Amino acid sequence: MKAGREAFAYLGPALVLVLGVVLVPLLFVVYTSLYNQGVTLDAYRVLLKSTLFQKSLVTTLEISLVAAFASLLLGYPVALHLARQSARQRAFLMILVLVPFWTSILVKSYAFTLILGKEGFINQALHFLFGSEVSLQLLFNRVGVIVGMTNYLVPFVVFPVLASLLAIDKSVYRAAEIMGARPPRIFWRITLPLSIPGVASAVISTFVMSAGFFVIPALLGGRKDVMMANLVDFYTRETLDWNLASAIGVILLALATVAASASFASRTGSRFEFAK
Amino acid sequence: MSQSTLFKPSRRRFISSAAGLSALAVAAPLVVTSRKAFGAGKLVLVSWGGSYRTAVENALVKPFSQEMGVDVTVIDTPDLAKVKAQQMTGNIEWDVFDAPGALGTAGSKAGFWEPLDPQMAANSDLIVPMKKDLAPLYFFTGGIGWDPARYPEGKHPRNFTEYFDLKKFPGKRTFRNRPSETLEAALLADGVPPNKLYPLDVDRAFKALDKVKPSVVKWVEQTPQSIALLQSKEADFSYVYASRVKTQTDGKYGFSFDQTLNGLEYFAVLKNAPNKANAMAFVAYSLRPDRQAAFMEILGNLPASRKAMPMLKEETRKWMPNMSSPNNAILDDDWWANEFDTVSRRFKEWSLT
Repeated sequence: MKAGREAFAYLGPALVLVLGVVLVPLLFVVYTSLYNQGVTLDAYRVLLKSTLFQKSLVTTLEISLVAAFASLLLGYPVALHLARQSARQRAFLMILVLVPFWTSILVKSYAFTLILGKEGFINQALHFLFGSEVSLQLLFNRVGVIVGMTNYLVPFVVFPVLASLLAIDKSVYRAAEIMGARPPRIFWRITLPLSIPGVASAVISTFVMSAGFFVIPALLGGRKDVMMANLVDFYTRETLDWNLASAIGVILLALATVAASASFASRTGSRFEFAK
Repeated sequence: MSQSTLFKPSRRRFISSAAGLSALAVAAPLVVTSRKAFGAGKLVLVSWGGSYRTAVENALVKPFSQEMGVDVTVIDTPDLAKVKAQQMTGNIEWDVFDAPGALGTAGSKAGFWEPLDPQMAANSDLIVPMKKDLAPLYFFTGGIGWDPARYPEGKHPRNFTEYFDLKKFPGKRTFRNRPSETLEAALLADGVPPNKLYPLDVDRAFKALDKVKPSVVKWVEQTPQSIALLQSKEADFSYVYASRVKTQTDGKYGFSFDQTLNGLEYFAVLKNAPNKANAMAFVAYSLRPDRQAAFMEILGNLPASRKAMPMLKEETRKWMPNMSSPNNAILDDDWWANEFDTVSRRFKEWSLT
């Protein structure tokens, strides 16, 4: 009884905030997606039949998955390195991880033009090495989108994974070493499995974030890289069709919810539960 | 969790600065509202940001405030969705809305604007007449741009037929990522006379666009990118705006005035605007030839007022299209207000294939 009251004292403010600031507008979005001169599922029917929607749904899923896993591949070693530093050094290195995160997306996208462009650093290096016929189209296509998004998402992988890695009891490592395990074996049998909670939350949050992106695809992508968020923007601001826009929003939310609950299920059912 | 150790050295400082920040965040809106609450003579203008905002403030807002004693608040980014929200809830916050072409007429169709006094400006002075709820402010001029260092005279397209001619002028191009302006360019390229563009032959336009599609390096979403792509050599020729070439490249890049697409920018007053009288006065004031000239001197677009033209510097006028030339086309915002929805969807689907 007393514990319950105490929990409310801690959680109450956040709960009120979430109810008022997130849940109420969300319910309004759901309502808008269902209401068009009477309650109807028309918006959903129109969307499911529309090629534009189907294609951008597939694009969104593809881009989000690739971006999430690319960020994981790049972010995990960074987290691993950070976990092995002294607290002081780690604090400094973490700032380096955060610097690109604090830079405006517009500025970064422009910077990527200088690196990935036709006359950018990479292509100039290729010209120098292999002659001027060799050049890669790295911009205004899927590659550009993934590079831009991965750059943005890496910090969201580094921090949860780092937290998981730091939570691993050092004596487990010592025990493994005493028993004669070599570094690769320690990594595969201890580090990786015990960091899975961080990995799962990193993949889920980057996937969900990617699903809502639209500035980076607009600036670095090609004409085919239309994401769901671009469609929401189109229907909200350009055609003022809030019925359709809300329905897309609800579908995006459903996707995110499915992704999150899948991870939650896999995590609670995990056999590495003892790690906590 | 051990994450907390990360912040240990400076936790106290972190907490105190976070508290300071949130106090600021809470206080900021209060400051704004309390300022709004004072004074009877107020006006809220929603307009575009960046250097555009400086032009609006210096040429229109500041002198208007001084002459009329009205306290004007300028807000960035006219957004029709926000107008719709204000109209739906009856909580109208904006008075004057700075609307590019189709946005203005779409708002008109949705009934978002107050009717304007047709006598607000002398119709004989305006290049295009007043609409019932939209005041023409200026023309923005779109056309073909290039870098003269890479493409000297004779090596670059000068009209839309040439812009679509991949054999004569091979190279990467850009278009806006929207059907308006793009379809018009395609039809002009295909030989439709500028004064016979509307109603647009949409099928014919897409057919013409099909041919250039593989040579388009980028369908530009953000206006400044159309010139940035020329600067980074991603595009050889680009669909750009004359005023942007003048300001963004100091007039060093080329822009062809042989054939241009001209769109209107309007001022509209929101229906049931809280400061309606001031809003009307402000719109009328903005149409005054001397204000039009001052505004366009900075912005570099074509004033709607005829009398404003001779007041402009010779250097500024060089960057303006000759509207009596039969090669130049004017975008028909009324046509787009009715067709934008369906044609945009088709355009987006077309881009995906």
